[in-house]
Amino acid sequence: MSEIAAKAVVTRARRRLWRSRILPYLLLQALIVTATILGLQLLHPNDPEDFAVSAFTLREDGTTRPVTLPHFTASRYSLADPPLYTSAFTFRPADAGSGWSVYLPRFSNAVEVAINDVIVLDSRRDAVANRPDRNTPEIATIPSSLLHDGANRITVRLLVWGPLKGFLDTIYIGPDEAVRPAYETRTLLFVTLPVVFSAWQSLLAVILAIMWLMRRREPVYGVLALGMLVGAVQAFVPPPIPPAPYPRLAAILLASAPIESALVVAFAVLFFGWRWPRYGLLLFVPGFAILLVGLLASQPIPRIIFLFLGVPTVGICLMLLAVIVTRAVIKRQDAASFTFGCAVTIVLVCWFHDMFSVFEIIPEERIFVTRLSYSAMLVAIGAGLTWRFARALNQVDSFAGQLVARVREAEERLTASFAREEARARAAALANERTRLMRDLHDGLGGQLVSIVALSERGHEGATITDAARAALKDLRLVIDSMDDIGGDLMLALGSWRERATAQLRPHDIALDWRVATPQGLPLHPELRPWHVIQIVRILDEAVTNAVKHAEARHIAVSIETLDGAHGPYGVISVTDDGKGFALAVNGASASAGQTARGLRNMRSRAARCGAVLDLTSDASGTCVRLQLPQRFPDSDAAAG
Amino acid sequence: MTEQGETGEAITILLVEDDAPTCWRLQDALVKAGYQVRTAGTLGEARSALGNAAPRVLLTDLRLPDGHGVELIRETRLRFPDTEIMVISALGDEESVITAITVGATGYLLKDAFPTDIATTVRDLVAGHSPISASIARFIVRRTQGTAQGAAEPPPGPVLNTARLTPREIDILWGIAKGFSYAEIASHLGLSRQTVPGHIKNIYRKLEVHTRSEAVFEAVQQGLIKL
Repeated sequence: MSEIAAKAVVTRARRRLWRSRILPYLLLQALIVTATILGLQLLHPNDPEDFAVSAFTLREDGTTRPVTLPHFTASRYSLADPPLYTSAFTFRPADAGSGWSVYLPRFSNAVEVAINDVIVLDSRRDAVANRPDRNTPEIATIPSSLLHDGANRITVRLLVWGPLKGFLDTIYIGPDEAVRPAYETRTLLFVTLPVVFSAWQSLLAVILAIMWLMRRREPVYGVLALGMLVGAVQAFVPPPIPPAPYPRLAAILLASAPIESALVVAFAVLFFGWRWPRYGLLLFVPGFAILLVGLLASQPIPRIIFLFLGVPTVGICLMLLAVIVTRAVIKRQDAASFTFGCAVTIVLVCWFHDMFSVFEIIPEERIFVTRLSYSAMLVAIGAGLTWRFARALNQVDSFAGQLVARVREAEERLTASFAREEARARAAALANERTRLMRDLHDGLGGQLVSIVALSERGHEGATITDAARAALKDLRLVIDSMDDIGGDLMLALGSWRERATAQLRPHDIALDWRVATPQGLPLHPELRPWHVIQIVRILDEAVTNAVKHAEARHIAVSIETLDGAHGPYGVISVTDDGKGFALAVNGASASAGQTARGLRNMRSRAARCGAVLDLTSDASGTCVRLQLPQRFPDSDAAAG
Repeated sequence: MTEQGETGEAITILLVEDDAPTCWRLQDALVKAGYQVRTAGTLGEARSALGNAAPRVLLTDLRLPDGHGVELIRETRLRFPDTEIMVISALGDEESVITAITVGATGYLLKDAFPTDIATTVRDLVAGHSPISASIARFIVRRTQGTAQGAAEPPPGPVLNTARLTPREIDILWGIAKGFSYAEIASHLGLSRQTVPGHIKNIYRKLEVHTRSEAVFEAVQQGLIKL
């Protein structure tokens, strides 16, 4: 099995899928085309044929000939000497419940109607009627004083501004109540409906623009908002009548259609998630070219350019749109692209219809429906987007709900794990404390009790056993005492030590001189732990014991002071005695020399464990043990060994 | 040599201690100092001894074979308000000593104290000086701190009402807890040295739970009496 063969299989499968999807879609579009054509035929309003006036005499360029309406005249660029249609109609006052009216369903570009040589209607005064893309009808009531019984004359000047050909549809003259309904129907279809659509469109433009402003990451909204804005401006700005006071405005109006259609293509590309191609900007070139020409050149060149550049651009954009949407339908198979595709097909059919009507392939008719269907399509798109936005909001809501639930879950888990962790930490702290307590008991009490046992077994009596037992009790009290919470105030521990030391020294008749520099005594140490206290008290105990046992001191002074260091205050505890010093003891009594040395080593290691500095000076006049406390007691018992 | 009270009679001491060697040791030290000592090994014996006559001083252990020393202290306090009461303790731990103080004891005596210290302590007690140790003072002042901070849960250990202590009394307790002598405390606080023992006596009285029902309530609270 070669890779190529495998690829071929995949390609074939893909092609089959493609075909299976595109065929139903194309069939559906064919159905929609048919339906649209039928719809357009049905849409064509019925006119009151009983009152039709279609046989006219046309005087054009100095020649006169009979014509039948609807009639196309040649395209022209001058308003001077317009084609003049003349006809006669019969007025029968018996028919008239009310007055008579003249009704013109369709004309381009403007008309001036005179009855019996009195002008009753000039469509140029109606801004909406001047739009060639709207199929605006006109109606005028004929003052009864103008009408004679029997034959009357109607003259119609058709004002044409190229490049389109002039067109005049059949004219209806009759009683007002007979012709007005047809006029109302046309007004509703071709005047009111576009205004409604345009209003809708401008609202959507605002909404989409706000959406885009709040979500700059999604240019799709911005593009559509811009498209709708251009359309809305085009719909509401009154078109200039030649000779226009603002010819530049006309340029903007002319350029709007191609720019708008290019924007819609851009929207479709972005909406269906394609990357915007680099040459995509070419699509905007015709629109801006028309704008440029409109701004620079005077009429009728911009109009000609529009006809030959703008209108095809719109068509090309529509076809591009159809292709893009078809691909999207095949790929995504979702409701949005299906709907969009059908809408595009309808607009495309309408565009072809208008083209056929411009080139007179559809005879005797000039009704442009592209703008109308296009507006409807945009409105549909806008509604769809709003729907999508609302759905997205719902998703966000449910997502937020899920998020809240998840956060709560996580929080619960975290709380549980935190509680577990806390319990573990507590257990660990307890175990640590127990270990230290065990070590402290082992260091002091254990050894002393063993020593008592040993002494008792060897038959010793009296003082030695008593001393050992007293030492054991003292140590037990020390351990119990240092377990107490003293809130970081070492003075509270030293207070009970002073009592114990005084009691210890009293039988030896040694005075304990207690000097505290300030009432506060030592700085507070919130980080002070029981094991720090035990070490410090043991150092002091050792110093006192050495003074009593080995130095034969008579006075022991303990001084406590707080000094100011570079990083804050620190405490110093000094134990000074007036004994003979341990240097002499080392030389003198060899038995106690080893003990003293061990005692000193112990003191130093205990000081190191608390981060304290031990200074020891000793001479024949006495010994001074100076314990400089740290500014901060160490957390861990790292130096323990 | 015989220690005599104000009336000139020998001072009587009731010593309640179930451990015979300890009892001997304390008795020896007190008798040597000239006191008239009666001993009891159990709560029952102590009660019958109290039935005869009120002793000037009651020294009692807390753990007795047939009951708790706290009951004895409370009974004695109620029946003989003039009797000075002190607890005998092996370790002087706050837990038991504070409980005894709340029912009327004044300080404690360590079981292994040197004989001279034992005699001195009892003499001071009879003279109206209430000794208070640094560790007891510490316990009390830590408790006043705890209530001042308004801790949500009651601190561990026996129930102690420190609300009635004045700031001055608390200052004195702080001084004792930090190991200062009465003279040093007096000079720090601008007092006369002689007034300090009086303040300490007041402290003891204020920590005492007065009414019988209060005492029972406290005892129940502390689990000393099972209902």
